[in-house]
Amino acid sequence: MVTVALWMIAALWGTAALGQRPARPHRSGLWGEFAFGPGHVRVACAGCTNVVSSNGPTSHFRIGGTVSDHVLIGFEAFSLLDEAFQFSLDVSTSTAETATAAVIILWYPGRRGLFFKGGVGVAAGQYTIPTSPTQADTSTGAGIALTFGTGWDWSISRKFAITAHVAAYVTAVGDIVVPGRRVDDVIATMYQGAIGFTFR
Amino acid sequence: MTAPLLAVLVAFQFDSAQAPRPVMALAQSVAINTFVNRVDAWVFKQDWARAGTRAWGKNLRLGWEWDEDAFPTNMFAHPYHGGLYFNAARHNGLGYFESVPVAFFGSWTWEYFGETYRPSLNDWFMTSFGGIALGEMFHRLGATIRDNRARGRGRTLRELAALPIDPMGAFNRLLRGQWSGVGANPVEHDPGAYVLRVGAGARFAEGLISDSGVARIGAVVVDLLYGDQFAQDYTSPFDVFGARLVLSPHGGFQTLRASGRLYGSNINKSTARIRHVLAVNQRYDYFKNPAQSVGGQSVEIGINSRWRFGSQGYGLRTALFFDFVILGAIDAPGTGLGERTYDFGPGAGSRWEIALERHGARFLRIVGQEEYIHTVSGASADHLIAVSGIELTLPLAKGFGISGHAYLFNRDSRYSDAPRARRDYTEGRLLLVWTKAGFK
Repeated sequence: MVTVALWMIAALWGTAALGQRPARPHRSGLWGEFAFGPGHVRVACAGCTNVVSSNGPTSHFRIGGTVSDHVLIGFEAFSLLDEAFQFSLDVSTSTAETATAAVIILWYPGRRGLFFKGGVGVAAGQYTIPTSPTQADTSTGAGIALTFGTGWDWSISRKFAITAHVAAYVTAVGDIVVPGRRVDDVIATMYQGAIGFTFR
Repeated sequence: MTAPLLAVLVAFQFDSAQAPRPVMALAQSVAINTFVNRVDAWVFKQDWARAGTRAWGKNLRLGWEWDEDAFPTNMFAHPYHGGLYFNAARHNGLGYFESVPVAFFGSWTWEYFGETYRPSLNDWFMTSFGGIALGEMFHRLGATIRDNRARGRGRTLRELAALPIDPMGAFNRLLRGQWSGVGANPVEHDPGAYVLRVGAGARFAEGLISDSGVARIGAVVVDLLYGDQFAQDYTSPFDVFGARLVLSPHGGFQTLRASGRLYGSNINKSTARIRHVLAVNQRYDYFKNPAQSVGGQSVEIGINSRWRFGSQGYGLRTALFFDFVILGAIDAPGTGLGERTYDFGPGAGSRWEIALERHGARFLRIVGQEEYIHTVSGASADHLIAVSGIELTLPLAKGFGISGHAYLFNRDSRYSDAPRARRDYTEGRLLLVWTKAGFK
C-alpha cells in the first residue's frame, strides 16, 4: 500500500514537472555540456589495403551561446581513448588517443529537444607503443576534423537537461611513425554514442 | 538505379509545395549524382562509374582515403560540382545555412555511391565547402543577370547567360515556367552597390608556361565587388562578396578567388566619416603559377575600414584579416601522393590591403597575404606561402583605363625527409580595363 502511494506521488510530481517544462525546451544563453559514451574508431591510411577498427571510450565537452531561436554556436572538445589499439596484428598493446577541437553549430528544427550538429576544427592523434617493459614510443599527428551528429535534450528542469547524442568525427592527422613502420596520411573516423549533462 | 529515379519521381510530387522544399532539394542532389554517374558510365565508358552494391559495400566498409586527381579537378571542378548541390537547395527555397547540409549530403552520397573508388576525403571537403562558396556566389550572380521583369529575346539571352554559372537555377526555373514568366525579382537581383572591372592585356614573367622560358602571355582579368559593407548593413551571407578571375591561354584559370561576408557588424556609427566594420568571411582560393599552385577553403575574420576624403567620393580603405584554412592544397613537386604532385592540409594565415578608391572602385591597391599549410596528405611538410602586390589603374575616358599590376609570389616548403624548397616568382600585368560601378 505504501509502495502504491509512493508511486502515485512520484507520478504526480512527474506530471507536475512536465507541466512546468518551459515552452522553449532547448538551450538558450550561455550553455555547457559534458558527456561520455562508447565509441568506435576506423583508421585508414594511404596505400593501406584495409582499415583498422577498434572500440574505446569517448567523452566530449561543449560550451556555447545562442545565435537565434533555433541555432546555437559553440566550441566542442572531443576525445576517444583506446588502450588496446592495433596498427597491425603484431602490435596489440598500443594506446591511441584521438582528439578534436571544433567550432560547432547546433540546429533545433522544431520546438522539442531534437537537434542536429555540424562542425569543423582541428584534430590531434597520439599513438603510444611500448618498446620495452619500461619504455614506449609516442607518435603524434595533427590536422583537421569534421563532425556531424544528432541528439536530443530531455528537459529535467529549466536549467538542466540530459542529452543523448550520436555523432561521427572524421579526422585527418597526417603521418604516424610507429616502430619499424611509417603510416602515411592517416584518416581516423570515429563514431560516438553518448549521454551527457547539459547546463543551460 | 531504380531507387534514385524513384526518389526523384517522388520528390517531383512535392514540387507544388510551398518553398522551402527540402525533399525536392535532396532529391535533386540525388538526381545530379545519378545523371553525372550515368553520363560517365554510358557516354564516356568510365569503369569507375560502374558502381553497384559491391562497390557501395566496399566503400561503406573501408571509408575515407585521399585521391590522386589533378589539381584543377580537385580544386575547381569539384567545388563547381558542389555548387550544383548547394544551388539545388537555394532554388528550392532554402536559405544559405539551410542549404549547407544539402551540399554535404550530395557530396557524401557521390563519394560513397557514385564511384567504384573509395570515398575521397579531400573531395568531400572541397566539393562541400567550395560548393557552398562558389554556389552562393553563382546563385547571386545568376539572380543579378536574370531579370524577371524583362521580356522577349533579351529575357531569353539573360536566362542563357546565367545558365553556365547557375545550371541548377536554370533547370528549376525551366521546370517552373520561370524562363518567360514576368514577376518581381528576388532580393539577390540588386546588390545595391557594385563594381565590375574587366581588363584585357598581357602578363609578363619568365617561365609563364612551365619550363618554356615564355615571357609574355595574354590575360583577361575580371574583378567583381557585389555589395559594399560600408553602404549596407549585414542582412544575409554573401550579401557582400568580392571575386577575381584571371584567365590565360595554356591552362585557362590562373586565378579564381572569392570572399563572401558570412557575418558583419558595425564597430562604430554607420554615419561616421571613419568607418570600421567587423566581418567574418568565407573564402575560396585557386591560383596557379610557376611558384605556387595553391588553393583551399577558408574562413577569415577581420576588420574593414574606410576613411573618406572630401565630398567627391574619394577614400582610403584598409582590410586586415586572419584566417583558418579548413583544407588547402599546395604543389609539392616530387612528393604528393602517388601520381598527385601536391599536398593537402589545414592551415592559417593573414591578409591585408590598403586601397585608394572613389565610390568603391579602387585605383591604387597594395595587398599582402601569408599562409601556412601543414600537410596531412602527401609529403611530411610544412609550407609557407606569401603573395604581395601593387595595382594602379589610371582612368582614361568613358569607364576605360589602363591598369598595371606587379606581384611577387614566394613559397618556402620545409620537409621532414627532404631538402627545404624555396621559390620566388615575379609577375607583371598590363591591361586595358573597363569599369562599371553603381551605388545606392
